[in-house]
Amino acid sequence: MNSNKKFFLMITGIIGMVIFWISWVSMNPADEKAMTTFVSVDELINDNINRRTKLGGLVKDGSIAISKTNYLDCTFVLKEGNTELDVKYGRTRPDLFKDGVEVIVTGQYLNGVFYADELQTKCASRYEGDLRNESSYNLNEIDS
Amino acid sequence: MTPIAGGVALNLAFGFSILAVITLFLHTRNGDQRLFLTGQRLALGISFFIFLATFILAFQLIQSNFDIDYVARYTSLETPFIYKISALWAGQSGSLLFWLFILSIYTTIVILQNQRKHNSLMPWVIITLVIVQIFFLILTNYVTNPFKPTDADFIVTNGNGLNPLLQNVTMVIHPPMLYLGFVGFSVPFGFAISALINGDTSPLWIQSIRRWALVAWLFLSMGIILGGWWAYRELGWGGYWAWDPVENASFMPWLTATAFIHSIIIQEKKDMLRLWNMSLIIMTFTLCIFGTFLTRSGVMSSVHSFTASSLGPIFLTFVFLIIVVSFGMMYFRRNELKSPRKMESFTSRESGFLFNNMVFVVLCFSVFWGTLFPVISEAVRGTKITVGPPFFNQMNIPIGLILLALTGIGPLLAWRKTGRKSLIRNFTFPILTGLSTATILLFVGFRGYVVISFSLGAFVTATIGTEFARGIYARRKKFDESIIKALIRMVSKNRSRYGGYVVHIGIVFMFVGFTGQAFDDEKEFSLTVGETDHVAGYTFELIQLSEAERANHYAWISDLRVTNKEGKFVTNLHPEKRIYFHNNPDPNRRQPHSELDIYTTMNQDIYSIFSGVDSENGVAFIKIMVNPLVRWVWVGGFILVFGTMVALWPRKD
Repeated sequence: MNSNKKFFLMITGIIGMVIFWISWVSMNPADEKAMTTFVSVDELINDNINRRTKLGGLVKDGSIAISKTNYLDCTFVLKEGNTELDVKYGRTRPDLFKDGVEVIVTGQYLNGVFYADELQTKCASRYEGDLRNESSYNLNEIDS
Repeated sequence: MTPIAGGVALNLAFGFSILAVITLFLHTRNGDQRLFLTGQRLALGISFFIFLATFILAFQLIQSNFDIDYVARYTSLETPFIYKISALWAGQSGSLLFWLFILSIYTTIVILQNQRKHNSLMPWVIITLVIVQIFFLILTNYVTNPFKPTDADFIVTNGNGLNPLLQNVTMVIHPPMLYLGFVGFSVPFGFAISALINGDTSPLWIQSIRRWALVAWLFLSMGIILGGWWAYRELGWGGYWAWDPVENASFMPWLTATAFIHSIIIQEKKDMLRLWNMSLIIMTFTLCIFGTFLTRSGVMSSVHSFTASSLGPIFLTFVFLIIVVSFGMMYFRRNELKSPRKMESFTSRESGFLFNNMVFVVLCFSVFWGTLFPVISEAVRGTKITVGPPFFNQMNIPIGLILLALTGIGPLLAWRKTGRKSLIRNFTFPILTGLSTATILLFVGFRGYVVISFSLGAFVTATIGTEFARGIYARRKKFDESIIKALIRMVSKNRSRYGGYVVHIGIVFMFVGFTGQAFDDEKEFSLTVGETDHVAGYTFELIQLSEAERANHYAWISDLRVTNKEGKFVTNLHPEKRIYFHNNPDPNRRQPHSELDIYTTMNQDIYSIFSGVDSENGVAFIKIMVNPLVRWVWVGGFILVFGTMVALWPRKD
């Protein structure tokens, strides 16, 4: 066999291995946190999905309750459309977490409560939003 | 008045760019030298107007002219001077203008540098660069104009202010570095396209872009490392790399570029791998544009991304055009791209380089796959899936370790073919070093990837050490020089080779740092003054909890006394909880921010976050992470930069 053919075989072999490896890891992630399905709050409640999922929604105004005994424990209501869901979260909260912000939570749904172990806030609208909504502005109406 | 001048400058630049392309194209048809000169000057004119527009925007930011929407959105009267300047690349339209600004610097340098060189190549090089400029000029002129006035029916007396997270010196340096890297690959890409059009695939043009590619690679590497450094010190999740789509967007072109700066050596020395190098540089440039697309399109949600915008389809079209045109031309020139020489043996340095290249591309593909998996999955199966770091780690750690091994094997192989004797001679010491490291680690009780990674690190260090020792020994034998003198002479005689070895040492350091992650430890707890808690053998005592009002925020400052197992004092940590915009009457507009404090040694970092405060009861909520070996990553980064500088340093002939 000449060296050209050998190289060709070698390269084909490597490509084959790579395809195998990538598809194998994609099908069988070792860690449950490797891949998480995004579901809507409706689906989660209606289908009673108990495996690890990700949800997105808004924090209902005034729903954040911080435990008296442990400041890290908190509960809040996640709103997606008109569906509401109680969420429990017991770790350090992101700085931008507050009423009305958009959050993504990851965790498990058990007996009507979503136990989240990850909580991400979407970047606040402050830096990209409509200038007119900013209360830091003095909006002088132009009346002429 | 001045803002209008900015818009006009951008318009003029656009007009000039169309003229430049037409003139230069006509020159390539009829060879009229006057047309070439005109085209060249038009191209310089585009750059001039883009410089002008950039300076006008910078000036408006400094002046806080809130009549410009962009200025009002990203700065306020209180924004410190330096961040007013960095606001230039803080938002969507400004950063696109900044892209153009850097591309114009590069274009100007290329034109001035090559006035008398590469006469046949230059017209198409300039045309390619100008077409890239046109793309960004269309965006900044017609899609998202940085000079857009604020809506006229109300007056803005103070702007939004820059996100406190971005008010950090690293954030002033990191984006320009990334851009210098991203945009830098336009130049080698321009040369590659020009070479394809001219059918000139000799190694000549390769030499002229090698340095360019290396400079761009250096900037891109620094940009990526600084990004990690910023995330680690500012974001407060205790890590520096999260396989976030935008991080991947900068990592993918880095991988293909790294492959390119290796394989280009083969083409320069042996005139092999022409087709392969051409594909690599096209891939790198495409990935740079694709990366810019990922950041801006809103296709992927990411902490880094700008808000969803209409830019997606335009970018995708551009990426598509680049791919079709470039690879179409490669197909057209496939005969000229055939290399005159073939690989001779598996155990040659050429094939070592080729394997290294393949692994880099494989790694790039696997990152690409993971990044786009959510999109693919949603399109194919209709389920939305997010892919987390464990997926990337599982997939990429083995590939990364293979690369690390190749880093050690490559330099020991001879050109063309390595004989059995020299194979044994070259590999004995490094392999023994690697094996003994593995034995010791296994004996001490380490397992798995940690052992492999550290042993490979030792193996690579040994090969590079041998290379240096052998070179110095040879010189001393021949010239009777002192060790230091022999070292300096040897390195300066072959800067790219030894500079490259230094970079490899930097990579080994970084791998050591990455491996340290396997031992990360963390704990969240609450403390009142006088209370203690323990993490990873350290004791943390809250000595004091104080408050302070500063210029642009209000802060709670903790004073944590850290002692080790033996009760010996280690350090005091002062993480802070801050409220920015604390004077704002609307509590929703106040923004909390956790300022970290990190105690760092080569051995480990003690990373402290003040996550919350209960000021009534004087309780501080603290999160501590003990992250071993993180500093190795940053030191490795420094070594990498130093090594690249050695390789880049011009020879004095």
